Amino acid sequence: MYRTDIFRTATFRLTLAFVVAMIGGILLQFGLVYAQMNGYESARSSDLLRREAALLVQESPERLEDEVRERSKTDLRVILNGASLFDLNHNRIVGDIRHWPEGLDVSDRTRRLTVAPPGDTPYEMRYLAIEVPGPDGASGDRILVLARSMHMADELRYIIKRAALISVIPMVLFALLAGLFLSHRALGRVKEMRQAIERIMAGDLHERLPAGREWDDIERLAGAVNRMLDRLEHLLDEIRDVGNDIAHDLRTPLARVRARLERALSSQDDPEHLKSIILRATQDLDQCFSVITALLRIGEIENGRRRAGFTSMDLSELIAGIADLYEPIAETQGLALTVSGIDSPIPLYGDTDLLNEVLANLVDNAIKFTPPGGEVGLIAGRDEAGCAWLKVYDTGIGIAEDERGAVLGRFYRSDKSRHIPGSGLGLSLVSAIVDLHGASLKISAYRPNREMVGSVFTIHFSGRSGSDHPINIT
Amino acid sequence: MSMMTVSEHEAASRPNEPVIRLLLIEDDESIALEVAEELTSRGYLVTHVENGLLGLEAAQSGRYDLMIVDRMLPELDGLSVIEILRRQKIMLPVLVLSALSAVDDRVNGLKAGGDDYLTKPFAMEELAARLEALLRRPTDSRETVLRVGPLEMDLIERKVFRNGREIELLPREFRLLEYMMRRPGTVLTRTMLLEDVWNYRFVPQTNLVDVHIGKLRRKIDVAGEPPLIHSIRGAGFSLRVSD
Repeated sequence: MYRTDIFRTATFRLTLAFVVAMIGGILLQFGLVYAQMNGYESARSSDLLRREAALLVQESPERLEDEVRERSKTDLRVILNGASLFDLNHNRIVGDIRHWPEGLDVSDRTRRLTVAPPGDTPYEMRYLAIEVPGPDGASGDRILVLARSMHMADELRYIIKRAALISVIPMVLFALLAGLFLSHRALGRVKEMRQAIERIMAGDLHERLPAGREWDDIERLAGAVNRMLDRLEHLLDEIRDVGNDIAHDLRTPLARVRARLERALSSQDDPEHLKSIILRATQDLDQCFSVITALLRIGEIENGRRRAGFTSMDLSELIAGIADLYEPIAETQGLALTVSGIDSPIPLYGDTDLLNEVLANLVDNAIKFTPPGGEVGLIAGRDEAGCAWLKVYDTGIGIAEDERGAVLGRFYRSDKSRHIPGSGLGLSLVSAIVDLHGASLKISAYRPNREMVGSVFTIHFSGRSGSDHPINIT
Repeated sequence: MSMMTVSEHEAASRPNEPVIRLLLIEDDESIALEVAEELTSRGYLVTHVENGLLGLEAAQSGRYDLMIVDRMLPELDGLSVIEILRRQKIMLPVLVLSALSAVDDRVNGLKAGGDDYLTKPFAMEELAARLEALLRRPTDSRETVLRVGPLEMDLIERKVFRNGREIELLPREFRLLEYMMRRPGTVLTRTMLLEDVWNYRFVPQTNLVDVHIGKLRRKIDVAGEPPLIHSIRGAGFSLRVSD
């Protein structure tokens, strides 16, 4: 299994590609070397031929014929492999090149020509044909043809081919071995990661991938996965907490319902009393439903599917309405409910019902947590950019700095407020709605004087939900 | 389950009043049974059908005074049923039931031509109160003076009198009393009051409505006189002259 695994790793496949590229590289390199050497050799051959020809044509006509005859017979075959004199009609005068090579013309340039002497295998030679000038610079009537064989180039080609073949084999072997080693190592790391992932999938959420010091891509990837896992674990914890909280918040009233119904079942009381027991049981059930409904609503709002209800409206009007609604209850609790900053319209683009819910929840909370004699206030306005803001403040129990984030979460109750009834979901609903409007929610302390410590909830709408929309409120 | 599951529930006898024929279109059998039983015990003659097509047919027959329709129905959904009826100018009052709580859904339900909207789960008292409110359309809004027993409201002068004695009311108290006086004898739930008088759709954590009613009651019902504002346990409030 393991061996076939190696062949299936990306690293190994890359190695194979690398080997192929390497072979290509070697071939290219040797090709270039050969081309260079070949070029050099041919340039040298041409040079030799030209130099030799230049020497020969300077001889006197008689000497030239002797020289040519001499060379064709005894020349050290290292430089010249053939030499002849032809007349202008390409008839041989003297020399060992019997026939005018086909395709040869008289010029300074050497030509590679294949000659096929009758009854012999064709072979290639390099030829040079130049006119032998007559005496006193007159145009001559003879042509000197010199030839040099290609054996040097052939030898070169042979050597290079062999060298290439011989060097390719160890290089390929080396590349293969290196690939095997590297892919084995990579496979080992990937295997570790896979095992870690399998452990995580099996339920061990604390497991992490080996990320080392994140020195290379794989380790950095593992590090990123680990951070994702941290976040997921945190979210899961939250969900679990929320689940526990929901269970707890539902169990208490449900237990009461059960107890009441049980009592009703076993009691011999008159129908009126039974009715009142059942009534209280249904009230407890209603509380359960309100928790469930609130949760569903928060989920719905957080999913952001609610922007359909957005319209242009006036925040001042909303605040005035809520203040009107809550004034009597503030009064019965011995609280002053003050409103300011809403004399002129504050245009806003949002969902009226949801924003009313925000205001109601904040004021509801403020009233619940403020002892008699205190104050609950609503202020609204617009900042320099024209964006709307509103504050709900109270002189209640205050919210400790480290609890300010948590109170927006689901079911959170500070220790100070544990005895006060409520679904514990009001502020997370507020937070969800504020988010939906692209606004920010800030909680800070309110200290009107030395004895009083309360809280301020500030909602600052951004341009998106605020006044960059064409709104006309008259 | 046959397609034609139309069940008629015998209405409890309710003397002196004509029987109200109610059409219930609801595919959830247990909810339908509960609703039908409850409403039957309150004197309605309930016909229950299980899908939208049958419901539409039944509603078109013109035999019914009132219709309750679930939003999600097999064959034809509740909103389509209402829309078709409204297009055919069949104006029987419709209460929409839904498991969807979103305000959007509510708005859609009312836009389609529903007269009222109730989210599941609901209290039977709430349902009964709303049906009653649908049946008793509020007193003619062109009237300038409303009267309930010793109570008299002058809508133009914005003044309220009990037995000729003027009662000073704040604007919000006036609005609340006007709403109640337009629906005398009807049970008004807290949700109905919050939705109709204040136009709010949230469920308050505090006993807001009770406080408002309490304030109003202290001004309307002074000691020595028979009370007009009654609390209905488990349901809400009602303005009526005691027998």
